[in-house]
Amino acid sequence: MEAKAARRGELSWRLWALVPIVLLSLAVGGYVASGASLVDLIGRNPPQADEFDIRRVQFERGQIRIRVTNPQQDDLTIASITVDDAIVPFEVDGPRTLGRLRSSTVVVRYDWVADDPISVGVTSSSGIETVEEVAAAVETPGANAGAFLGYAIIGFLVGVLPIALGLLWLPSLRRIEQRWLTAFMALTGGLLSFLGVEALFEAFELQAAVPGALGGPGLVLLGVAGSFLTMTFISGRFSGEGGAALGGVALATLVAIGIGFHNFGEGLAIGTSFAFGQLTLGSFLIVGFMIHNVTEGLGIAAPAADERSGVSLPRLATLAVIAGAPTIAGAWLGGFAANDVLAALFFGAAAGAAFEVVAEVARYVSKRDPAGLRSGYAIGGFLAGIAVMYVTGLLAA
Amino acid sequence: MPKFTRRRLLAGAAPLVAAPVLGKMTLGSDAGAANRTLQGHVHDHRSAGHAAMIGQNVPAVGGPRDLDALLYPPPPLPYEPGRIREYEVRARDREIEVAPGVFFPAWTYNGTVPGPVLRATEGDILRVNFTNAGSHPHTIHFHGIHPTNKDGVFEIVNSGEEFTYEFEARPAGFHPYHCHSTPLKKHIHKGLYGALIIDPKEPRPPAQELVMVMNGYDTDGDGANNFYTVNGRSFYYARYPITVRRSELVRVYVANLTEFDLINSFHLHADFFHYQPNGTGDYREYTDSVMQCQGQRGVIEIEFANTGLFMFHAHQSEFTELGWMGFFNVVD
Repeated sequence: MEAKAARRGELSWRLWALVPIVLLSLAVGGYVASGASLVDLIGRNPPQADEFDIRRVQFERGQIRIRVTNPQQDDLTIASITVDDAIVPFEVDGPRTLGRLRSSTVVVRYDWVADDPISVGVTSSSGIETVEEVAAAVETPGANAGAFLGYAIIGFLVGVLPIALGLLWLPSLRRIEQRWLTAFMALTGGLLSFLGVEALFEAFELQAAVPGALGGPGLVLLGVAGSFLTMTFISGRFSGEGGAALGGVALATLVAIGIGFHNFGEGLAIGTSFAFGQLTLGSFLIVGFMIHNVTEGLGIAAPAADERSGVSLPRLATLAVIAGAPTIAGAWLGGFAANDVLAALFFGAAAGAAFEVVAEVARYVSKRDPAGLRSGYAIGGFLAGIAVMYVTGLLAA
Repeated sequence: MPKFTRRRLLAGAAPLVAAPVLGKMTLGSDAGAANRTLQGHVHDHRSAGHAAMIGQNVPAVGGPRDLDALLYPPPPLPYEPGRIREYEVRARDREIEVAPGVFFPAWTYNGTVPGPVLRATEGDILRVNFTNAGSHPHTIHFHGIHPTNKDGVFEIVNSGEEFTYEFEARPAGFHPYHCHSTPLKKHIHKGLYGALIIDPKEPRPPAQELVMVMNGYDTDGDGANNFYTVNGRSFYYARYPITVRRSELVRVYVANLTEFDLINSFHLHADFFHYQPNGTGDYREYTDSVMQCQGQRGVIEIEFANTGLFMFHAHQSEFTELGWMGFFNVVD
């Protein structure tokens, strides 16, 4: 009897939990049904900006394709298109009137001049023109085998190869004293902090360029928290039940994953910038990236050096691939299907992953080395890591 | 569109570099890309310039006779002492379609931009009964010779009020009229302007007469025009060429009421014409292009020697490609 009554009580409390939802629906419904009368009591809403978000301008043989999105609440109609301040006939692949966050592609037959700056304008029915300046008209690479291979080679050169080279420091690292290993571990922490800050900054910049409805710093936080917590989860799995600080190959793997996140963002940036004609790829630039990224290999090697049993070559290769191969994937995505919202999210994720690994490394150093994080080796190593990244970064600038 | 700030910095290093090998790997060689582009130019005539900008393909608003009232002036009347020419002009706010699907919240005289073509013979009493049905104070300021209290500067006509401008029409010529309320730039570019023809007592030779008021619309309020037109609609006379007869006198009254830009111009293809500045005096220029500052105007006279499509447009390419372009269709 009593058990039954208790169960009934529990049910009624569960039902009660629905009451706020029902009341909220009624309140929202009532407000919506009242139209704009509440706003009228206070004043008047300003008119909508009627500006489009020009997502992508692609140059193909004899035509320009302009991807536009409506970033605002009210409908937006594509009424007129200009190229270099001249009205041009056009077709719309998709609806001409766009609802909130809906997109269409405008197709303009146009003999664009290769390598010249060019601007495209999309005018709404209220006459507001949104202009996108393109620094140089460059034929947008199609998703053909050549371009696919090209991005893969770039990704390999700036991602996988330098990291693999950096890992070759492993035998040397194995023979050095504990305090120097601590210094190199701290160096790894410094490298990752640098990458994290940079990715975070990039993420906020990208987010700011995204139209209001889609952007916002919260988008970056989602990326940061998402990757940070995922990495925390993975490290928890690695360390098992005891919850001991990770070390050796497990920590090296975690570092590799963190760097992999970063390199995905780097590949994305290279691919997108190249596809948009904002980046000229040359040997100097590639070399700069390679030198810059060798230090990432060193960062992975430092924790691996602590593995007593030694690290097999296939395992090392795996680490290089985990850290470097995302550059290739990023370059593909950036080159063929860039999306600024995703890009902001990915850069946020890169930052979160980097910071999580910094925390892991710090935990490891503080447990492993009697002198802990306060030793001159740890502090010096950390600062040196930042300095090394900054200086090698100059090479790629 | 994505913009990667650090990468843009990185891009700055690029000119230092020549990387033939990499270039080949990533691009399939620049020369190949250039060839592809060139082939595109050779084989692809879909975007071939002006051919795409006549007739059906032209993005212009409305039907073939929509602007007749602005293009063809009322007929001239022979001089008659003491005659009164009376016009009703009503200022009102009206959203007009200046290009297909592009709507501009205009201030108009009688519902159109430009306003109605007014006409009188020199010596007539011109009486314009002005009603302001718009939402802002307006006036009509006529160019010409008249008492200063009929000048449309101090006699501000508030919303809902009326005013009568009455004066002797002179001097003979072609003159603009426009609102002179402040802020002046706003009141003019919103559309409050039009054309006034004052015929000389000694009439001009009979001709097929046309009026062209050049203007622009700054539809996004950035102080620069987005569309240029004659008689209010971009590319209208490219969509609907103006038919005139060969070897018959054609007289075009041309005025420039374009706001924001220093000048506008009229250029005729494949023939020359005589141009009389302001429609006054004996001076004639024999040319195919005239340039007018805002408020300048003149009278063009031409007998086309050939039949065919004669393009006319502003000789500022930018204006041309933003709507100020059309054709005469000269027929036998």
